[in-house]
Formats: sequence, C-alpha cells, structure tokens
Amino acid sequence: MAASTMCTVVSSLSRNNCHVGVIQMLNPIYRGAAYSSALSLNNGVQNKVSLRGGGQRTLGRRPKRESGEPRTEKMSVDQDWTSVYPTAAPFRHSAVPLPVRMGYPVKRGVPPEKKGNLELIKIPNFLHLTPAAIKKHCAALKEFCTQWPGALDSHAKCEEHFPIRVKTTEYVSAGLSVRNPKARVVTLSVKLSSLNLDDHARKKLLKLVGERYSKNTDTLTFTADRCPLRKQNYDYAMYLLTVVYHESWKTEAWEQQKTVADMEEYHWENSPSQKNVLDTLLRMKGQGEASAADREELLKSSAIQDYRDSITRLKNEGDNESTLQQYRESVKKLFNL
Amino acid sequence: MALHRLNCLLPFRCTLRQTRPFHGSGCGHPLRAANQAAAPIESVRDVFRTSEGDPACHSEQHLGRFYTLQPAELRSLFPHGLPPRYQQQIKTFNEACLMVREPALDLIGCLKRADYTQPSLRYLLYGPKGSGKTLSLCHALHYCSSQGWLIVHIPDAHQWVKNCRELLSSSFNPSRLDQPIQAAQWLRNFRVTNEPFLSQIKTTERYVWSKRESTDAQRPLGELVEQGVLRVKSSSDVVGAVLKELRVQSKAGAFRMAVAVDGVNALWGRTTLRRTNKSPVAAEELTLVHNLRKMVKNDWHGGAIITTVTQTGSLYTPSSAYLPQELLGKEGFDALDPFIPVPVSVYSEKEFESCYQYYSNRRWIQHPHGRAEEGKRELDFLCGKNPSLMEKLCGFL
Repeated sequence: MAASTMCTVVSSLSRNNCHVGVIQMLNPIYRGAAYSSALSLNNGVQNKVSLRGGGQRTLGRRPKRESGEPRTEKMSVDQDWTSVYPTAAPFRHSAVPLPVRMGYPVKRGVPPEKKGNLELIKIPNFLHLTPAAIKKHCAALKEFCTQWPGALDSHAKCEEHFPIRVKTTEYVSAGLSVRNPKARVVTLSVKLSSLNLDDHARKKLLKLVGERYSKNTDTLTFTADRCPLRKQNYDYAMYLLTVVYHESWKTEAWEQQKTVADMEEYHWENSPSQKNVLDTLLRMKGQGEASAADREELLKSSAIQDYRDSITRLKNEGDNESTLQQYRESVKKLFNL
Repeated sequence: MALHRLNCLLPFRCTLRQTRPFHGSGCGHPLRAANQAAAPIESVRDVFRTSEGDPACHSEQHLGRFYTLQPAELRSLFPHGLPPRYQQQIKTFNEACLMVREPALDLIGCLKRADYTQPSLRYLLYGPKGSGKTLSLCHALHYCSSQGWLIVHIPDAHQWVKNCRELLSSSFNPSRLDQPIQAAQWLRNFRVTNEPFLSQIKTTERYVWSKRESTDAQRPLGELVEQGVLRVKSSSDVVGAVLKELRVQSKAGAFRMAVAVDGVNALWGRTTLRRTNKSPVAAEELTLVHNLRKMVKNDWHGGAIITTVTQTGSLYTPSSAYLPQELLGKEGFDALDPFIPVPVSVYSEKEFESCYQYYSNRRWIQHPHGRAEEGKRELDFLCGKNPSLMEKLCGFL
C-alpha cells in the first residue's frame, strides 16, 4: 500500500519534471520499499529472503573469504624452481611467477590474465622439465651408467665398427601395471654399403626387401613387432637380416626367366634400340644381311658407342634438356649431319 | 527538360555507333582496315617482316621475322594442315604470315644437308603446349614443297584414333578395322596437295578391290586415288596401297618424299574406339594406323620423316606431359629410334617483340592500353611468351 502510493507520487513527479532516469528512479524506490519492510522484520537474524522479479541479490550469504597474497610475491629470483614443480602438475597461477596471458581477446581487449584461466590449466606444461631439473635427473641417473668407450670418438668410427643399429623404446608410466605392449617393438637399421654384396646380390636383395629400403639414405630397416617379447623380436629381426643376405647371394634356376620389364635399369645390349641402329647402319652401307663379324665391327665404332651412352642415359634418367641434347648430337654424328 | 535530355543523349549514341567493341575474328573493322591498307609493303618501319618468301633462302638474319605465304601455295599445300585458329587468323588478316624461328631453320638446315641415298631420317618436334610445333612443321613442309618434293601430310594422327562413327571390318585382313570416312577425306586432301605427281607416278602391281573393280599395274597413281575417293568402302585399303607405292618408288629416286605426321604419339597410344561388341580397339588393329606405322619406319630412302608429339588431342595422357618419352611411351620410342629431337620453345624476347608489332600493325590489339609500353609488359607477363596464349589474349584486348 505504501509502495503503491509512493509509486503514484513518483510517477506524477516524473511526468512533470524529468525524462531521464525515470526507470532508474523507480527501481531504487522499489528496493528501498522492499528493504524497509525486510529490515524491520529481521534485524540480526540471518534469513534468506529473495525478491521476486527485478532484484538479483540474495540476502544473508556467507561473506566471501578474502584470498591471501599469491605465493609468487614471496618467491625470490634465485629460488630452486625444481622444488616448486618437482613433477608434472597442472598450472597453478599463484605458483608461477610469469605474467602469462592466454585466450581469445574480447573486442579491443587483451587476452585474459592467468588468474582463473582455464585455458592455461587445460594445456600440458613442462614447468617440471627445466634445464636445472634435467641436470638433476642426469646427475641421479649417472650412477647407473657406464663410461662411453674412448676409441669411438667420431660418428664414422661408430658406423664402421657397429653398422647395425637397434632401436628399442622403454615406456614408464604410473598406473595399474608397469608393462606397456609398445615396448616390444624393435627396429633394426643397417647401411647397405657396409654389407658385402655384388651386383646380382644387391639387386636381388632390393627386390626381396622392397619398401624397407630407403634410396636416399641407403638404409635397410626392419621393424619387428610380431612377437610378444622384446628379445624375441630382436632375434627375429637379426634372423631376417641374415636370411635376406644369404638368399640374395644364391642364384635360383627360375632367375633365368627375368624379363626386360623386371630389369631395374636399361641395358643397351640386345635391346630394340641396338637392333634398330644396326639395321639402319647396315642399310646405309647397302648390305642386306651382314655377318656377325661385321656387326661386331660396327658396334665398336665410336659413333655407336656415343649413341649407346646417350640412349642409356636417356632411358635411365628420363627426358631432360641435357639428355635429349646428348642424344641429338649422337644421332647427328651417326648420320654425318 | 525532356528535350534537353534527348539532346544530351544523341551525341553519345553517335559515338557509340562508331566505336563498336571488337570481338572474335573476321568481323567488321580489322578486315576493312586490312583492305584499306595496301598489301603488306616492305617499309623501313616494318622490322618484323621479311620479303623473302622462299623457305630455302631463310637464314639467321630472318630469325624472328614474318614471311608471307602466297594464297595459291597455301591452297594447294595446306588444304588441311594448318591449326584451326591459324586458319581463322589468315581469314581475319587476309594474309598468311609465318614467323621464321630457330627450330624450323634447324630442321630445314638438316633437310638440306642430309644424304638422300641413305635411309630416311626421322625428326621429332617436341615442346610445351602452344609453343609452335605444328607451324614449324608447316614451315618445313613449305620448304619441301618449294623444292618439289611429294608431301604426305597427316594433319592430326589423333583424329584417326578417336571419334570415328563408322568402323568397318577390313576385307583385306579380317582382324583389322577400316575407317572409310577418314581415309576418303585424307585421300581428297592428298590429291589437292600432290596434283602434279599423280599423273607421273605409275603403280607397280595390280590391286583388286572387289569382284568387279581393280586397278592394273602401270596405271597413274591418280586413278588409284580416284578409286579411294569414289568407292569409300575400300578407301582405307587404297591409302595402304598408295603409301606402299610411294615407299617403293621413292627408293628408285624419281622423286623425294616428305612424310609429315602431326601427333605421332597417337600411333602408339590407346584409342577410344570400340567394336560393336564393346570390346576396345588397340591402335595396331586399325588399318590406317598400321599402314602409317610402316610409313614412319626408316626402311625406305629418298626422303625425310618429320613428326611432332603433342599432348593436345591425345588420349589418356596427363596435360603436363610434353617430352618425347612421356608421350611416345616405350613402344613408340623404340619404333621411332633413332630420330633427331628438335626442341620447340616459347618465344624469345626478340620473337615476342616481333609478334607484338605484327599484331599491332594488323590492328589486332584494339584496346588503347594494349598499345602502350605498359600494356605490352602486361601481355608478356600474362602469356609467359607462349605463342598460342598470346594469340588468344590479344584477341580480347
């Protein structure tokens, strides 16, 4: 009742005098009205009374406890960081004395600060792996290590004495079990230049091995993971290397059936190109059928040798300016142009 | 107010009528301009032209310049040989001008120096798309024709391995297929090019076409060609017979022959043709292709074989391929080996300048900006000195 009369008074006032702030004027009065009624009822008693519509404040909340000074204020510059973050831990803004900002900025603003920033907590951090921490780890591990042999002081010497490289991975994690099935994988790599292979053996080995050989680095790599234990996989990889090496040295009967399509590179002898050029030259000389001796003689001439080199280069390397130019010169020479 | 507006509009309309935008070829202004200007006069300012019309006399001093082909020569020599865009250009400019370029001169030089008692040499023109291989071939053919050679010109071998409506089973060899329409058309054009030879050359053996038709020995070649043109059904076999006769007789030394095949990579490629039972046709199963392959072999002498490899129009080849081995494949390369590869590259600075001046002179470049120095640089950048691209670009300026 009181509220409604006050309301009408205010409304008349507002109509006469002010345009601005009418609504604003109304609200405090409403609140004021509410307050007055509430306060008169409860003086010291904590009672939660919420106002319907309009007001958002709940009464009688527990006062928020003030948080103290963050630990970063008390940190000295030369403190031992490894004790602040000894293990992997989530980001604590009060423990990291860096003015880090992360997140998408609002319009004409900056990225939000680190206090209460969920983005910084979500991402993995490496605050526990600073160089000082690593140094400590190494110092702790050193007593379990042996000395590196002094004679192996260069990469070349290591390659020479130990051509086979075996890679294995250990996995350490805290969990219900210490075992990790990924730890059984063994990778064995060896350079083919350190193996004793002749031409036929090398080609056969490359065909046997297929994708496992990389031409750029001349490395043969075997990855074994089919056995449950690491030792078994290592033995299997060594067995593979041995078997592939020995097999490539053997020549089977069916290898005689190797066709031109199987060849890795182009051989000019007995190719259609040789036949063509010989036929052409014989026609040039005006002879129909020529004896083997004549052919031999023709083959030895320098023009034919040049032509042979250029064709081999063209077929092996493919078309490019220099190979085509060389071919052109050799054909012109052949026909005396 | 309305009257005022009308008066303002009228002068605009007049000017609009006078300057119509220039589009396409062979319409309105350029023809008139060309007709008004006299036939190409050798003036001191026309650096890009040369009056030397005989390809035999072309040398380094004519490099980069345009020479004119006479209309009579054009009609007889190239009834079907020129690229379609170039034919349109001839109609537009009312003249056929060809630029003298390095590859063609090289080729003509080799043709001059070659020994024609030896097996015929094969030349292969290769280069990126639109660099001028076909026109270089035509230049070389002009030289051959001016020397009185017999010309066997297959304008585009790709047309014989695709888009063929009628495929008849060959009567001569049942496993092969005939293409009557293509063969008849080619024979007609062959007749136009080699009129004088048709009465001179005589057949060496008797050919039987059917129960009632045959051509006896010692008849002029013209009769054989007539047979093929009239009786379209046996035209593919007639083509085979004609080619065989020419091979045999050029050995005898009575005349010199130039075999020009544009797009020779089609002979060893795939076809898109299918038989009636939908099985695909291989290239060697076509009579025309079979005979042409025999022609391109170097087992005859007394002539030259000039070929180009093109990706345009070829089937199942990537559009970036232009080198010989890529386009010919293993089989084609082995069949053509040994040959002399002749690279055809895009315009050099001088050639580009010359071409630009020619187009300006012919009023082909209409846009005022195109005639400025900056416009020329822009054109250079846009077309990358590629001849066909430049021709296409200039047409819209």
